[in-house]
Amino acid sequence: MNLLMTASQIRGLPVVTVRSGEDIAEVRDVIYDPEAGRLVGLTLNRRGFLAGRSHDVLPVEAIHAIGQHAVMVLDESSLVDPVDAPDDVAHPATERNVLGNDVLTEGGTSLGKVTDLVLLVGSTGEVVGYQIDKADGGQGYIPLPAQLSVSGVALVVPNITEEFVQEDLVGLGATVDEFRSRLGLT
Amino acid sequence: MSVIGWLIVAVIVLVVVAALFVITRRRRRGGGVFATRSKR
Amino acid sequence: MNDSFCHSVGRKVVSRASAKELGAVEHLLVDDQQRNVAAVVVGRGKKARLVEWARLSGFGPDAVMVVDEGALRPPGDDRERSAADGKLELVGRRALSERGNELGTIDDVTFDADTGALVDLVIGERRAPAGSLLGSGSYAVVLDKSQEP
Repeated sequence: MNLLMTASQIRGLPVVTVRSGEDIAEVRDVIYDPEAGRLVGLTLNRRGFLAGRSHDVLPVEAIHAIGQHAVMVLDESSLVDPVDAPDDVAHPATERNVLGNDVLTEGGTSLGKVTDLVLLVGSTGEVVGYQIDKADGGQGYIPLPAQLSVSGVALVVPNITEEFVQEDLVGLGATVDEFRSRLGLT
Repeated sequence: MSVIGWLIVAVIVLVVVAALFVITRRRRRGGGVFATRSKR
Repeated sequence: MNDSFCHSVGRKVVSRASAKELGAVEHLLVDDQQRNVAAVVVGRGKKARLVEWARLSGFGPDAVMVVDEGALRPPGDDRERSAADGKLELVGRRALSERGNELGTIDDVTFDADTGALVDLVIGERRAPAGSLLGSGSYAVVLDKSQEP
């Protein structure tokens, strides 16, 4: 079962072990590769009322599944020490936080600001688009791969993205394939 | 200690717990959605 | 013959050797890998004792018969202590699929009273076969993806 979830829905989810039914951590940050359009990993917080950051991280290979109510791992040993994890997960590029980034077309039009990331979850973590606060008001969704570049301050997207701004997630899911074929990617 | 005294203690304790909660919440919630570093 | 966790809680536990009543069933501890009842928790708090399934002469509809009083022992490790405290109780636990989606709450668990083998887990109107159980603990019971709606 594949479903669309936003990064903000995933952040804060408990990390639960399949083998022992325990909630061993919760999701802190979502790290993705904008060029490949995929989830790369998650950083974690500890569970509990006054708990803070967790030392361990979850590269995408260590994740069994992401669902609406939990991120599943096989058991406690699935959590990875940062020294064994890819650098982008162990030390996230905090200057490249895309939330709040301005979305600019190549032609110089602002489509709005990024408010969230949209992912296709299930057994893979594919990034399908961004949620934006539209420049002319209201919420919208634009498909990935949309950006030509990402700086942490702005996203630059192809001009045709302007035609593909969707009102809701259903619309986004329906247009991703068309958008990609228009870009000559499928 | 009088009732007022205990009430004041209770309020102080509540304020301290609330402050701790807010501080740890912000430490946990801090961060966001990060793009990987460009390979180019 | 089948029995259920909800029906057996509160049932008296009697020694076959002395006919003495030793207490009542509080919880049933499950082995996730074997998918059977591993032990019966008798009594609560500091007085909680465990009886392994193999030390029962019978799990009957009116009484759980223990071979003798010596079969009752205090919890031996952390898992048994958690079980004795009711933290591993399956009934009332949230059911999660291995895909990370909630399936409901475990309302009851049925088992074969002769062998201790679990039969199914009742979630509302539905019954998940014991074979779909992947793991259980204090946060959730995890069922395989066949149980996704």
